[in-house]
Amino acid sequence: MSTVAELASSNRGYSYAFLDEFAKRELRRRILKAIAIPGYQVPYASRELPIARGWGTGGLQVTLALVGPDDVVKVIDQGADDSVNAANLRRFIARMAGADTTTDASRATLIQSRHRIPEERLQEHQTLVLQVPDPEPLRSVEHDISKARLMHAEADYGLLWLSLYEQLVRYRRVTLGASYPCLVHHRYVMSPSPIPRWDVPKLHQSAHLTLLSAGREKRLYAVPPYTDVRPLEFADVPFRVEDQRGWMCYRTGLQNKFMNELPQTGGGAIYEISDTGFVEKVLRKVPDREAAGSTPAQAAVGATYYDDEGRFYIDGYLR
Amino acid sequence: MYVAARGGESAIRNAERLYRDLVGAFDAETVHTIERAMPYLVDRVMGEGSLYAPELAALALAQSGGDLYEAVLMLRAFRSTQPRLAYARPVDASSMLVVRRISAAFKDIPGGQVLGPTLDYSHRLLQLEVLDRDAKAQDEEERSQAGEQEEDGEEAGMAGERSGVSNCNYPLVADWQRDAGLLPLLAVHPCPDASEIPDVTREPLLFPAPRAMRLQSLSRADTGGVLALGYANMRGYGAVHPTVNEVRLGYAEIEIAHPITNELFSIGRIRVTHAEVVTALKSASVGNGAQPDGDTKLHLELGFCATVGWNEVKTIAGAMLDLAMDLPDPHPSHTEEYVLYHTDPVESSGFCIHYKLPHYVTFGSELDVVRSVGEAKRVAGLGDYYGDGDHLVSGMPGTYSERPGAPLVPEGTAEQV
Amino acid sequence: MVTSGRDAPRPVSAHAPVIVTSPPLLQVRGLVKRYGGHVVAVDRVDIEAYAGEVLGIVGESGSGKSTVLRLLNLEERPDAGEYFFDVPALAGRNLFTLDRMAQRRVRTFDIGIVYQNPHLGLRMRNTSSGNIAERLIVAGERAYRTLRLAAREALAASEFPLDRMDDPPVRLSGGMQQRVQLAKAIALKPKLLLLDEPTTGLDVSVQALVLDTLKRLQRETGVTTIIVSHDLGVIRMLADRVMVMRYGRVVEQGLTDQVLEDPQDAYTQQLVHAKL
Repeated sequence: MSTVAELASSNRGYSYAFLDEFAKRELRRRILKAIAIPGYQVPYASRELPIARGWGTGGLQVTLALVGPDDVVKVIDQGADDSVNAANLRRFIARMAGADTTTDASRATLIQSRHRIPEERLQEHQTLVLQVPDPEPLRSVEHDISKARLMHAEADYGLLWLSLYEQLVRYRRVTLGASYPCLVHHRYVMSPSPIPRWDVPKLHQSAHLTLLSAGREKRLYAVPPYTDVRPLEFADVPFRVEDQRGWMCYRTGLQNKFMNELPQTGGGAIYEISDTGFVEKVLRKVPDREAAGSTPAQAAVGATYYDDEGRFYIDGYLR
Repeated sequence: MYVAARGGESAIRNAERLYRDLVGAFDAETVHTIERAMPYLVDRVMGEGSLYAPELAALALAQSGGDLYEAVLMLRAFRSTQPRLAYARPVDASSMLVVRRISAAFKDIPGGQVLGPTLDYSHRLLQLEVLDRDAKAQDEEERSQAGEQEEDGEEAGMAGERSGVSNCNYPLVADWQRDAGLLPLLAVHPCPDASEIPDVTREPLLFPAPRAMRLQSLSRADTGGVLALGYANMRGYGAVHPTVNEVRLGYAEIEIAHPITNELFSIGRIRVTHAEVVTALKSASVGNGAQPDGDTKLHLELGFCATVGWNEVKTIAGAMLDLAMDLPDPHPSHTEEYVLYHTDPVESSGFCIHYKLPHYVTFGSELDVVRSVGEAKRVAGLGDYYGDGDHLVSGMPGTYSERPGAPLVPEGTAEQV
Repeated sequence: MVTSGRDAPRPVSAHAPVIVTSPPLLQVRGLVKRYGGHVVAVDRVDIEAYAGEVLGIVGESGSGKSTVLRLLNLEERPDAGEYFFDVPALAGRNLFTLDRMAQRRVRTFDIGIVYQNPHLGLRMRNTSSGNIAERLIVAGERAYRTLRLAAREALAASEFPLDRMDDPPVRLSGGMQQRVQLAKAIALKPKLLLLDEPTTGLDVSVQALVLDTLKRLQRETGVTTIIVSHDLGVIRMLADRVMVMRYGRVVEQGLTDQVLEDPQDAYTQQLVHAKL
């Protein structure tokens, strides 16, 4: 006769990609709904993961629900592949899903990122998962989630526009830094997650699928490929990305990519391109050329969203 | 270097190694010692982790060096991986095996007040003499105590764990109040199929929350968080001044139906806490506006909270919040969304420590705004504080038509955003 | 409590003796609003208002006059009644049955309101100009300079000191707050202006100035106006026609001079005499 203890499942061993299959199924259904209604926040029952809440559990759940053994996974934290948190997440995904990992944005099939979109243009076969601390773009004007949901339902965004108006009155410019609110396909206003304004245009009519997921707040939403994404801007006050004119990356000598400012002892600052995967490829390019054709294609630096003069690849999007 | 943490993987390994050195090694014996010696701590972790597994909770405590939030997170993360195999029968509170039950509402209650194990009426003096014994004596004593515990360990640990709990069913105070007409009778409906009950761990929490989800959220809420909000309410920020109707600690028999024979059988007993508070509220049957007859009715209302493990503070404060969350007064503790969102231990602690993560991209974006606002003000001059758009940093001159008579918004062109 | 004549139908001059050449702008029929099951705040009220006219509603507090105004502003749903507005897009449609978004459009484009309590009408911590700009934003305006210009124009029209246009209402005097509300109400040139005790609570001298502004604006724009007040002086100064309400019902109506000089209803007589 077997005992209950024997019948019960063992404490050891985890499901493929950590989450149990019921959890994955729920997440996949929510993701499909999010893709069907661009920019709409779909609530989901966020599971606890073995990393702290607020450290990318929302993105990680989506990644774990999507990842397969053939995927190539890249994890970014503030642009960097090698920051401790990105390394930790990458290690976890690889361990639980047996997926290959990379730092090369064009080689990855699944990119989980905290607060950056790579400089190289993503393609149709790629999925970008953005970690979201606060999915609610109306939070600053309406902290009650139930009321905010009603405002979304009625496309009632007057208060958000009013806050832009007031910023212009008080400061003569829009004082929103990262998390710049965007209108998705002429219907829902969404928070693009705290990506810099530099990255916001990259979501517009993009070839790749973007999924945004907030684990703590239990909401996920999507920007499907080839969807309009417009930052909120007045007709006569165009949206502006960060002004980094004249900043040059000390490692690559390039300009017009999003830069980190590195303060120097004794005053002043030097700059480096924030996208470390991109820097890696640029620096490797020269020896690759010398190797004369023996290099794999993936080492080539792909087309970027902004060219070396800082022009965005879609003409007329940034005025 | 922390920010860049180049070569992050080895940095992580080293950081964890330092932590392990500090916390020290532990083995199965350590885990079982924690489980035996700190049952209230284990219960708190199980309650907040919403998984009844004393051994795993003790393991989480050992592994985290006693960091409660870490331990709760580990237990919850483990829970995420577990499939739901079966639903237990609902536990009837009156069939609970009670080791402690008190009511502040009545001097005596049917079945009597049962103090059970508690420190409530003890002097909270540190037993310094424990430290004064010299090591040798201590060794001897431990050896002899260990022998004693073999014989009556249940008295030292959680009372009644293995002792006779056959004769400790007590009627619920609330049932007596219902019989006496003090509380409305419970609607008689068949016990719902457990799989139909909303589950906060599998479905999103939306507001207004189903009652099941509210109680589940309170059940796994952070003890400190529930206490802080509940205390603010008790202290006078809230509108309710309830009385503890009944607090009971005990064991619940967990029964499931055999998948083939459908026969009920017990898979074990778990420690549970059940708290009910009661208050008199104005009957809200009539809406706003003056009541012509000026007749305001009062009725008694119960607040309820239960959790796995023994945790009196959380369930009492939770039961008070359960009452408070239905009230219109604008205090935050009267808002379901505010209470339930802000008392989750994993979410609140996780978000708090996430601020340690690098934020240099977001901060860089903010810095850009700060710099350009300074620039805009400098260009515009200090005297002219407010702008009409003439000095906008990113303005596009020439698109502005100054036609005072023209309709500002031509009809039919209005779009909602 | 109930006067003997209250339930008996009495002949009241149901229509003002004016030469009417066009249909009324606003027609309300059989308006009923109950609270909590047995409190009838508004009981079978009919209202007609013609383009350009000012209709006054008087009555003591609790007479249901402010409830009527909230219903006309589509803030609450009535228990019964029809509400028609003579504008092409809404012809023949009962406004009470429109969905929330359609009602919001009517409130945005066709109706302006000034409340006695400015907290109901204004965002007290946003700028005053922003309060007006918000209305245009909701209407779809997306040019910052146009918003500034419109706010400036509307505030100037309500005789608000423009050097304070970016102060939040919370820092303004009561009279100025009412002027901001008025500017917000007229910014989109509505068809209907609702005034709920707009000068009650202001100093007498300030009250006179605000009333002057109201009168001038109404004359200049010709906006159909419904003003609710317990103050017969205010009604006498502004209203062409007046309705007297008590216990949720209309007890008398007619030309303002006629009703106030020669009241027919016992309650109206009492009201007029109390004023004297």
